[in-house]
Amino acid sequence: MDRAIGVLARLALGLVVATSASPRAAWAQVRVAQVDTSYGCIVCHADKRRAFVTGVHAERGIRCHDCHGGTPTAFETRSAHTPRFVGHPGKMRTVAICASCHADPNRMRQYGLPAGQLAELRTSRHGQLLLERGDTAAPTCTDCHDAHTILPPVDARSSVYPANIPATCGRCHEDARRMAGYGIPTGQLAEFTSSAHGVALFRERNFAAPTCIGCHGSHAALPPRVVEIANVCGRCHELVDRAFEAGPHAAPARLGRLPGCIACHSNHGTERVPPEQLSGLCVRCHAEGSPAAQRAQQVQQEIVRVRDELRAAAAALEELVRAGEPVTDTRFRYRTAQTYYEQLGLVQHSLDLERLNDLTRRTASIARDIRAAAETRRERRWEHRLFLIPVWFLALAAVTVAGFKLADLRRHGE
Amino acid sequence: MRRVLDWGRRMRADLAASTDASLLSVLRFLGLLYGPIDHRLPINEAFRKALRYRLPAHVTWRHALGGIVYLLFMVLVVTGVLLAVYYRPSTQEAYPSIQRIVTGVRFGWLIRDLHVWAASMIVIAALAHMARVFVEGVYKPPRETNWLVGVTLLFLLLAFGATGYLLPWDQWAYWTVTELLHAVAVAPLVGPLLSRALTGDVIVSGATLSRHFALHVIVLPWLTFWLLALHFALLRKHGIAPPIAPPASGRPGVPFFPHHLLRSFVVAVLVLAVVISAAALFPRPVGDPANPYELPESLVSTWVPVEVSLGLVRYLTPWGFLAFALIGAGLALLPLFDRDPARALRLRPRAVALGLVFLLGFVGAWIAGRAVRTPSPDLRPAAEVLERETLPGSEPGLRLPDVGPTPERPAVPGPDAAGRPRGGL
Repeated sequence: MDRAIGVLARLALGLVVATSASPRAAWAQVRVAQVDTSYGCIVCHADKRRAFVTGVHAERGIRCHDCHGGTPTAFETRSAHTPRFVGHPGKMRTVAICASCHADPNRMRQYGLPAGQLAELRTSRHGQLLLERGDTAAPTCTDCHDAHTILPPVDARSSVYPANIPATCGRCHEDARRMAGYGIPTGQLAEFTSSAHGVALFRERNFAAPTCIGCHGSHAALPPRVVEIANVCGRCHELVDRAFEAGPHAAPARLGRLPGCIACHSNHGTERVPPEQLSGLCVRCHAEGSPAAQRAQQVQQEIVRVRDELRAAAAALEELVRAGEPVTDTRFRYRTAQTYYEQLGLVQHSLDLERLNDLTRRTASIARDIRAAAETRRERRWEHRLFLIPVWFLALAAVTVAGFKLADLRRHGE
Repeated sequence: MRRVLDWGRRMRADLAASTDASLLSVLRFLGLLYGPIDHRLPINEAFRKALRYRLPAHVTWRHALGGIVYLLFMVLVVTGVLLAVYYRPSTQEAYPSIQRIVTGVRFGWLIRDLHVWAASMIVIAALAHMARVFVEGVYKPPRETNWLVGVTLLFLLLAFGATGYLLPWDQWAYWTVTELLHAVAVAPLVGPLLSRALTGDVIVSGATLSRHFALHVIVLPWLTFWLLALHFALLRKHGIAPPIAPPASGRPGVPFFPHHLLRSFVVAVLVLAVVISAAALFPRPVGDPANPYELPESLVSTWVPVEVSLGLVRYLTPWGFLAFALIGAGLALLPLFDRDPARALRLRPRAVALGLVFLLGFVGAWIAGRAVRTPSPDLRPAAEVLERETLPGSEPGLRLPDVGPTPERPAVPGPDAAGRPRGGL
């Protein structure tokens, strides 16, 4: 018995020494000292506390009873859960609890946060379903922001961090069974992921790229209407929007006869239209052989030609680099040509043929110059190869003379 | 007038006296062996002795391999000196100076590509030369010292190439050297020290370039010249090794001049023509300028040992590289263990097996190394070294990215109005 007690005492001492030596354990001790031991909720809900303290609300001094009510100083369940105790608030109640602070401008002002989320939510499809129809399948605040681990959007762990928003929306919108009840298709997440916006967001970590909320809104989430589409896209694609407004398609788009940008670029799977497919898009609306379709064919041919010339110029530039030519100036000119080519993308939207021809001419001119430089370099390389003719002539002549001399020496037995 | 006539008379007498060696007469005609130099120094006699030297009768074309190595070394020296005139060893100027050499300097392209091709060919020629010595058992006593000197020379050749490889300061050179320095650092005991000494910084940088340049153009040439002198001196001292099976009848030897010199001339001319052809037909491309922040998409290696090393490191890990180096070291130290005078191949199966393993390993690693076209992804520089923020990678999908365990929050808010700690529930 004494021996067992001795072993246990040594183990306990070892544990104390081991834990006191660890900085992590030391920090835990400091934290224990700072825990409010008079706060009763954590006696039973330690797991909730762990989730909550990582969130932004804990930083601001919000506590369990601020949302759940009850008597936090009590340590017995019955008395702790009275009065006005809400253990698990329903979805509508959740909106009310969150809005009690977040819809109050006087409270939100100090944090620089907007106080209009509730008003926005009411305008959204989510809010309409939940607040007007009482449809509890619709999301409430905590479905997107979590109930306890509420993190600011700049925190990469947050469900509303830009790169995480598509997954957050997808939790419901990728659920085919849930969406079937509302007649909403699924698959948007996959489309978005492979779209130009998705590639920019996920692969290039370009947070200027829009996520779901960029086009649909966050708290006021709704699909844009047909007449609104050009405005939604134009918020980021300002120059394209201006070009589009100057073109012949702007008027029918304003009247809702044309679904704006998505007529050619799709919505969730937004992608640049490859030059080879330009005229194919036009004949969706314009009859084949019509003047508009013919013009589209011309534009396509011109852009494809310039693109090919630019690609050839890129290959020529690479060739010059590999040959050791200083290419700072050439590379600068190539980038200028690239800029002209990018501008072609804008001008297509206005269908300003004069400007389009001007840009293609400029791009092709630079591309030709770069290719000519590479051609000159190639010719010089041929000159290097021609240098081998005298080299081998002299070498073979010398070897022949030496061979004759050796044969002569052998013949004379020397 | 009298002095001129006197000078002409003496020259005619000298030419007439040079009937034994037409080369000497040419030297005399050029004035190199004429006058006080000729009379006061024993150069005349030394030349005459060298030209009258007779090589053993069994010396044939295969004995030209050592001469080819020497010739290529001279090509490297001459082209190296010319390159050093234009090359500038700094991170800012190295790459532009290479560009200038290949495009702006007259025949700069030829000088540079001769240097590149001769550097590869000399390794092949040196290995072929050593293979002949190995197969014929010439490394055995009394020539074991010369074998060790030769092995050291090969090591110096490899060191030349390894230090010169970084000098173009392009992406291919930069990342290949980085990968190989990482491999060197794995070697026990000396590895980390050697790697640090060669790098001189936490990453390959200007300090590395300076060190490689100093070794390439100052340290290694001096060592090589002295060892070459020793190699030739030992060769003359012990003479060319006799054939394994001595000939039945004692044939007279071959005169060095003009017979062997003519053969050497033929070999030299052909080797030079081949190197020039390779340089003109297959110039080494210039990569993009070295950029420590970005791995290149493709890798082009242009030196045989680098390809062999890459093949070993990539497919057998750095430990495979070290194991292969140990086999090479075993071959180099062979004369210390294989002291049996028997030279026939069938009488020394272990040495032959070791040689075959090395040969097959070299060829296999070379083929594998030539297939390496991309830099190792392990080379991506550490963020703290480059002071760049790396964003946490999260693939799109229905699940949130795994950000690991939630870190402890160090900052604790101050107490509220009631004096209770805020945030601590």
